[in-house]
Amino acid sequence: MKRILKSGLAVLVIAVVVLSACSKSAEAACGKGNNHFIFATWAAGEELKEFNAIVDQVNAQADGQYTIETLSIPSDYYIKISTLISSKNAPDFFWMTQELISKYAELGAIADVTEALHASQRYHPDNFYEGVIASAFHDGRYYGIPWIANPIMVYYNKNLFDEAGIPYPSPTDDWTWAEFIETAKALTTVKKDVNNNDYQQYGTVIDGWPNIETFIWAGGGDIIAEDGVEILLDREEALRGLDILDEILSSGITPSYAEVSSLGSNNVWFEKQRAAMFMGGIQDNFEKKISRLPEAEQFEIGYAPMPVGLDGHAYAFDWTASTVMSTACSDNPVALQALMDMTDGFLKWKIASPLKGEVSEVANIDPLKKDALPTIEHSLKIARSANYIPEWNQINNKLWVELYTGMLNKPGEYDYRTNAKEIAEYARGLIAQRK
Amino acid sequence: MINAKTQNLIWRFLLYAVLILGSAAMLMPFFWMISTALKIESDIFTIPIKWIPSTLYWGNFTRAFEVVPIFHYMFNTFVMALLKIGGEVFVSALVAYGFARYQFRFKNVLFMIMLATMMLPYEVTMIPTFIIWSNLGFADSYVPLVLPAYFGSATFIFFLRMYFETFPRELEESAVIDGARPLGIFIRIFLPLSKAALFTIALWSFMGTWNDLLGQLIYINTPAKYTIQLGLAAFSNMTGETLWGPLMAASFIALIPIICFLLFAQRYFAEGIKMTGIKG
Amino acid sequence: MNRGRTGFYFILPWLIGLILFTLFPLLAALYIAFTDWSIIGNPVFIGMQNFFEIFRDSMFYQALWVTVKYAIFAVPLTIATAFAVAVLLNNQIKLVAVFRTIYYMPAIVSGVAVAIVFKWVLDPNYGVINSFLAFFHIKGPNWLYDPDWVLPSYLVMALWGASGGLLTYLVGLKDIPRELYESANIDGANVWHKIRYITIPMITPILFYNLIMGLIAAFRKFTDAYILGGAGNEGTFYMVYLYDQAFSFYQMGYATALAWILFVIILTLSIIINVTRKYWVHT
Repeated sequence: MKRILKSGLAVLVIAVVVLSACSKSAEAACGKGNNHFIFATWAAGEELKEFNAIVDQVNAQADGQYTIETLSIPSDYYIKISTLISSKNAPDFFWMTQELISKYAELGAIADVTEALHASQRYHPDNFYEGVIASAFHDGRYYGIPWIANPIMVYYNKNLFDEAGIPYPSPTDDWTWAEFIETAKALTTVKKDVNNNDYQQYGTVIDGWPNIETFIWAGGGDIIAEDGVEILLDREEALRGLDILDEILSSGITPSYAEVSSLGSNNVWFEKQRAAMFMGGIQDNFEKKISRLPEAEQFEIGYAPMPVGLDGHAYAFDWTASTVMSTACSDNPVALQALMDMTDGFLKWKIASPLKGEVSEVANIDPLKKDALPTIEHSLKIARSANYIPEWNQINNKLWVELYTGMLNKPGEYDYRTNAKEIAEYARGLIAQRK
Repeated sequence: MINAKTQNLIWRFLLYAVLILGSAAMLMPFFWMISTALKIESDIFTIPIKWIPSTLYWGNFTRAFEVVPIFHYMFNTFVMALLKIGGEVFVSALVAYGFARYQFRFKNVLFMIMLATMMLPYEVTMIPTFIIWSNLGFADSYVPLVLPAYFGSATFIFFLRMYFETFPRELEESAVIDGARPLGIFIRIFLPLSKAALFTIALWSFMGTWNDLLGQLIYINTPAKYTIQLGLAAFSNMTGETLWGPLMAASFIALIPIICFLLFAQRYFAEGIKMTGIKG
Repeated sequence: MNRGRTGFYFILPWLIGLILFTLFPLLAALYIAFTDWSIIGNPVFIGMQNFFEIFRDSMFYQALWVTVKYAIFAVPLTIATAFAVAVLLNNQIKLVAVFRTIYYMPAIVSGVAVAIVFKWVLDPNYGVINSFLAFFHIKGPNWLYDPDWVLPSYLVMALWGASGGLLTYLVGLKDIPRELYESANIDGANVWHKIRYITIPMITPILFYNLIMGLIAAFRKFTDAYILGGAGNEGTFYMVYLYDQAFSFYQMGYATALAWILFVIILTLSIIINVTRKYWVHT
């Protein structure tokens, strides 16, 4: 009796293992058959409802040629995506943020869409702002279609400028980082609040945002060269950019790192008029938030582009998301068509479209952004993304945990030059390990 | 010289004072949670902190329900928890009883193996486990989350084993003399005397289901099947923006069932009678 | 009487579950530790290379040291706190059920919620603790922003959550017969004698449980540490480092090797504690 039990158990176990091993060798397929595609997104809650509205619209227009089904991943997005890919159940399309595209491309998880883009009327690479399409570019080929461009620009508080008697910066003309810092200094004063208590008003908020690339570019340098191999982090241009960051952090024009989170997040400082200027994405909905404040707390927002750096150019860091396609769908023209139809829907949904000439759409999506249009357009033209390589996350992690937080915690004291050189060596070590 | 009665009173006063102070510390984060849930957006982060909302704003609660169907997800989580709890508690108790009251070959090795399964971080077995379940066809299902519960859970088994070891030997001996079978002793004698311990395990089982985000995220795809943690995840997005007010409102609502369970389980922590009646 | 195969039958369900659900993922995880695997690519066997790299990796030692430091303080602290609270709440006092619920509540919130709340509690300028200290004209530390205060920050959080072990002790305490305390009273024992000679010995099995579980929990500390971090890598606990390697850097082979090293460390410590069991655990 016992022996039967034991052997029964053994058979069961072997069956399970064999079954699971067998199915593992099956190749991933494109869609669930009959051009039924799965589209994974990080949209959840209210954003998901808007996403699904687009899916419904696209499905209706597809008229049976294909069907798209949403897969919402509300948390730990990349863990689920990579788990699905490893179990050969990759979603056919999914959103990706820019810093991981080169890694997924390198590992063969996402499809090369270069031909499709070149063949397309609307999505030809030349139709995109350069800084934006660069984020989907790896090793000479394109691996996704960007559907949003969100470069940063300077939001400023016109009321506070008036109080300090400072002229507004031009919405499209270039001012320099030195001028930005001077302006911030003039706006850093002690004010009195409604209870007649003193509080500190700051010129701006720098707390890890904008990211370190912004400052390195301000020096005319970069972290990784465009060839994706050479490290430029320890060059003098990059280090001069870090000098600018250190100057800002030690000059008192920004609240200290430990102080920023007292208000939850950095943007709240601008909303509560405790910081006169804020470098935010063009998408940031300050206009809407301020319109919902009590009248006495509202203020007028002004817009200016990112300042010009030491190489004579201005750069606006651009946060871009692209839609990528699973490699299983590479040879499926219907899939490519579905991808582009979905992107058409996205372009009308978010601020801003990454295609040149579509800036006016922004005012349709959010009428409150109407006054910002000139600066938005300028920012799109100077949009820039970092040169993401497969080792990016590791390098960036060190840049943040060691370099940036070191500078934030000990402004004026931290030896960022040495640290930058160490990280550059580390990055070179990683690249040397490439096969 | 203070007499015994006054001394007793002083002790009791100190006791209450300490307990109340401690309670304030324990509850303070929950107070902040409720306070935030009742504030309008511009009041949530202020310098200095506003402890009490200037007005009671219920809009966060209504907004929370607009973002995700909270009750639907709580219902789903209830279903999953109920499916798991009976099996998990009973089987864990069964296995713990075996470890606690019996000797058998390899017992110590097997027990160490059981403890060892709690020591390897689940992150490294998560993906292989998922691949196996996925290949068996259970990709968008509660089964991978519920079925293993019917085979006991190492933490619960460990706790119940230690608990069962505190029972005197005489308990079984007298039952065996009366002709009881092992399973009968377990069910009719040990289980009824262990209500507090079993309710503790039941609470942990319920909490485990209620609070598990990553497991549920990996195995559930269809929003209709979502559990409450997946619902709460919708209040922050990829770029880090969080709807603080509605999130605190929803989180608070999500806590209520656990608090009720906890209050309900307290009755089983009244003093036991296990030790009386057995004279050595 | 209690020898033979009966006990084995009782534990059979767990054993079957182990073979069905745990064995193969475990073997897979063992294999992965010797590979270079990026999750989305294919695993490539590289032998011991992960382990060699780990032993040359300064972050490994940093993360391990942070975790060990934390464990040394947190485990005794949380056990003592939970036990003390349980003893206090084992009395006949009004509203005891309410108090027990309140003291257990820290355990019912998810790690994410705890992290969010304590980010505010530990805020250097306006957080609860520093505001309280400011009342006495003491300038509170910068908590998570000061490398020297990161460990204390996490200990504060651990202290707040410590009463979570409360229920386990209550379960054991309630079974200690009143007669033992009463006869001790007659013998003139005071509170400490009663605790030391009656309460603690009868609770040792539960203490053993909490010691092992506390050790495992301390070494596997993750959720709040991942969200809050801490200045100068003082908040990079072992699991945070592992998680980053696995899911941010896509080095699952390396991360799995890290996991097995952690496993060996915890297992060794547990075996040592288990060996001492017969000396102090009363059954």
